[in-house]
Amino acid sequence: MRNGAILFLGLFAALALSWAGIVVGSSDQLGRLAPYYDEGEGASFPAGFPGIAVRGEQVYRDLNCASCHTQQVRRAGYGNDEARGWGTRQSVARDYIFQPAAQLGAARIGPDLANLGQRKVDREGLLRLLYSGRGAMPAYAFLFEKERIQGQLSSHALDVSGVEPGWQVVATPRAEALVSYLLSLSSPYDYPEAKAAASAGEEKK
Amino acid sequence: MTQTASASPEDVTAVEIHGRLPLLFLLGSSLLWLVLGGLLALVAGIQLHAPGFLAGCPVLSHGRAEALAESALVYGWLANAGLGLSLWILGRLGGEPLRAANWVGVGALFWNAALLYGICLVAVDGATAIPLAELPRGAQILMVFAYAAIGVGGVLAWTGRRRPAMYASQWYAVAALFLFPWLSCAAQALLVWSPARGVLQAVVAGWYGQGVWTLWLAPLTLAAAYYVVPKSTGKSLPAYEFAPLGFWCLLFVGAWTGGRHLIGGPVPAWIGSIAIVACFLILFHYVIVGLNLRGAFAGGSAALRLVSLGLLAYLLGGLVAAVTSLHGISEVTQFTYFDEAERQLAFAGAASLTFFGAIYYAVPRLTGRPWAWSGLVRLHVGLAILGTLLLVVALAGAGLAQGSDLNNPAFSFAMIAADTRGWLLAASAGQALLLFGNFLLLVNFIKSTACPFYAGDRVAQSLRPAGASA
Amino acid sequence: MSASPDPRFTPAAQSDEALLEAHEKLLGRQPDSGGHYSLMPLGLLFLFSGLILFAATYLNRYSGHYAPTVFNENSVPSSGEAEVKVDPVAMGKRLFNTPGACVQCHQAAGTGMPGVYPPLAGSEWAQGPADRVIHILLYGLQGPITVEGKSFGTAVMPAFGSAGFNWSDDKIAAVLTYVRQEWGNKGGPITADQVQAVRSKAGNRAAMTAAELEAIK
Repeated sequence: MRNGAILFLGLFAALALSWAGIVVGSSDQLGRLAPYYDEGEGASFPAGFPGIAVRGEQVYRDLNCASCHTQQVRRAGYGNDEARGWGTRQSVARDYIFQPAAQLGAARIGPDLANLGQRKVDREGLLRLLYSGRGAMPAYAFLFEKERIQGQLSSHALDVSGVEPGWQVVATPRAEALVSYLLSLSSPYDYPEAKAAASAGEEKK
Repeated sequence: MTQTASASPEDVTAVEIHGRLPLLFLLGSSLLWLVLGGLLALVAGIQLHAPGFLAGCPVLSHGRAEALAESALVYGWLANAGLGLSLWILGRLGGEPLRAANWVGVGALFWNAALLYGICLVAVDGATAIPLAELPRGAQILMVFAYAAIGVGGVLAWTGRRRPAMYASQWYAVAALFLFPWLSCAAQALLVWSPARGVLQAVVAGWYGQGVWTLWLAPLTLAAAYYVVPKSTGKSLPAYEFAPLGFWCLLFVGAWTGGRHLIGGPVPAWIGSIAIVACFLILFHYVIVGLNLRGAFAGGSAALRLVSLGLLAYLLGGLVAAVTSLHGISEVTQFTYFDEAERQLAFAGAASLTFFGAIYYAVPRLTGRPWAWSGLVRLHVGLAILGTLLLVVALAGAGLAQGSDLNNPAFSFAMIAADTRGWLLAASAGQALLLFGNFLLLVNFIKSTACPFYAGDRVAQSLRPAGASA
Repeated sequence: MSASPDPRFTPAAQSDEALLEAHEKLLGRQPDSGGHYSLMPLGLLFLFSGLILFAATYLNRYSGHYAPTVFNENSVPSSGEAEVKVDPVAMGKRLFNTPGACVQCHQAAGTGMPGVYPPLAGSEWAQGPADRVIHILLYGLQGPITVEGKSFGTAVMPAFGSAGFNWSDDKIAAVLTYVRQEWGNKGGPITADQVQAVRSKAGNRAAMTAAELEAIK
């Protein structure tokens, strides 16, 4: 190969082709994905992303929780996500359209969180989990503050053991936002494309 | 008893004499980032089996430690080493001294400064949570400009070459020089500056991540390998007539593997299917590279041994990527430590080992004197090989155990952690060995470059065996 | 016995010039050589063809026709409109209970208000011929009417057709289907086609009266 210009053009073409195919192609298909309006229920799904969840997603991103948690449910027949209670159907693109930066994640060192809001978790439990950690999950104590009890126990005080008498553990706004975000993670609606994905999987079985 | 090497006058040419400062700066900073990144990776690795380790420190919480380690190793160690080696190779094959050596030096300075700035921001403020693009956008912009400055030196060495026909190392080096800024700017535009909607960000991030390997780091690796092997063996590369095919196959097919980690995910199925197909088509490139560079396995010098093992890791990585992309297998390996093992096979195995070999080859020519301590060289080679092997195999084992457990709902995450604990301990041991070996390399490098440089014709003399006539 | 090479320095076994020249010759681009074109070895050719065949077959089977709605590689995009089956009873119930619609007067239990709004639960009108109830809903009702033995005449039933709330055929069919099976009613379901037929036959007209309704079978 001796022609420098051809090399340069070839490099550009190689990148541009894959850009066009993958990025522009999928942007074309998914870029204007809108919520789905259900006649029966008279509402659009997904329902939107509350402001405090946006702040919580920022905290999730800062701490890079996606390094251990995914937020994508695989279809039935491909792994066993359904049996673990992570979701009733495969996650589809429409589930994420209102999220500023969909945290799909790439590793499952901890459970999948795509539908955490539908599971039996409550705010207090999540805050305690963040504070003390459990199993492979580290403790994120720096998301909390220890303050002296003024008069009586604050209504926001966390019910954890190992706190010296006279002190209480209170969640910082970051922790509260993170928990609000986690509790908002829920994709309950069965979109037509999700139904099609599920039925195709059943046919294959 | 070792056979001392004999040097020829062409070992230290005008290219080395005029370009030694910026190139040694690039290689030296790469080794510093290697050690720092290795330390951060060790911390992150320990936290996998001992979650309480440094958990109280927000800067080193697991997610951030992973982001820091990845950024330091990819944009610190691999980038600096790859660029330094590629510029040197382009200079030598061009036959002219590096014309923009000052630009290269300034660019290298700003690249590392911007990286340091970016890493400090990640440590304090948090990462972008985009794999391989964790640095904040301000740092990334600076890095693109710095890269352009470094690239100027390489591009000028290429356009100003004496012989019009190009050798494989030149194609690969030039490809890496041009493709990275385009790749980075395109990805950053859609991820950070004007974020795309929903899962499109994941698609762009996947395209970028795979592009970083197939269009940037793999070309840098191959540029070094294609140079060191024939120079060390003295023979022409077999089946070289097909090398251009291998080159274009890598480039045209490489970035289409972008959906490799989105198989079965919330994106249209065609993205994953095209990625699987691309992973298989690219095997053609691996076969050609294997045919070309098989002379490396003849062994001999430390450099050639490292390059041959890097080549082996490269070829194995390609095969593993293709096989594990198929649904039947990715059902088990997806989202597990096995993905991490594949990543380490590429970064720590293929790229790092090849760069180590090329560094051992190049540095004596840049400094004008051989490496200071042969014992450290041998120790590092052994530790690098052993550490990388242990790391990759342990992570793969952990991944398989974790994957089969994940698919069985009866296994709680506590049980999965117990099952993978042994493997993860072995992986940490591998990382520790690797870190120690790389530290020895850094020490050797500092000692080799600390003494004042010899100029001109006294260089060749220093490389001759003691007692030989001038 | 072979001595191990000094790891501190790897000698170059050929010069850069020699390297470049030798490999240039291999690519057959030397101006003075006769050109050296070799056919690709059979093995490489087979490999390449095999990979292309695999790629084509795989994409043919698993690409989902590159459709944006296909998330499972085993499925194909559904032809035509993917009609999502809406349960008419559920939809009808929701429509019935929309504030400002039926529930306001007829109440959620279908009891109506004695003397003012007729009941729907057990109503012979609600369970009567389909066309009759369709007319009531489309055009409204005015004047006295006897329901379950009691007389109602003070209130006016508004029209839900084009002269009034302008509900679509689907909505009218759904709410009627709901009413005709709820609270023990035993009327059959109503389809949107039936509503459409009534609309086109009767056109625009004023509110119904009880006498006109009785004429409809």
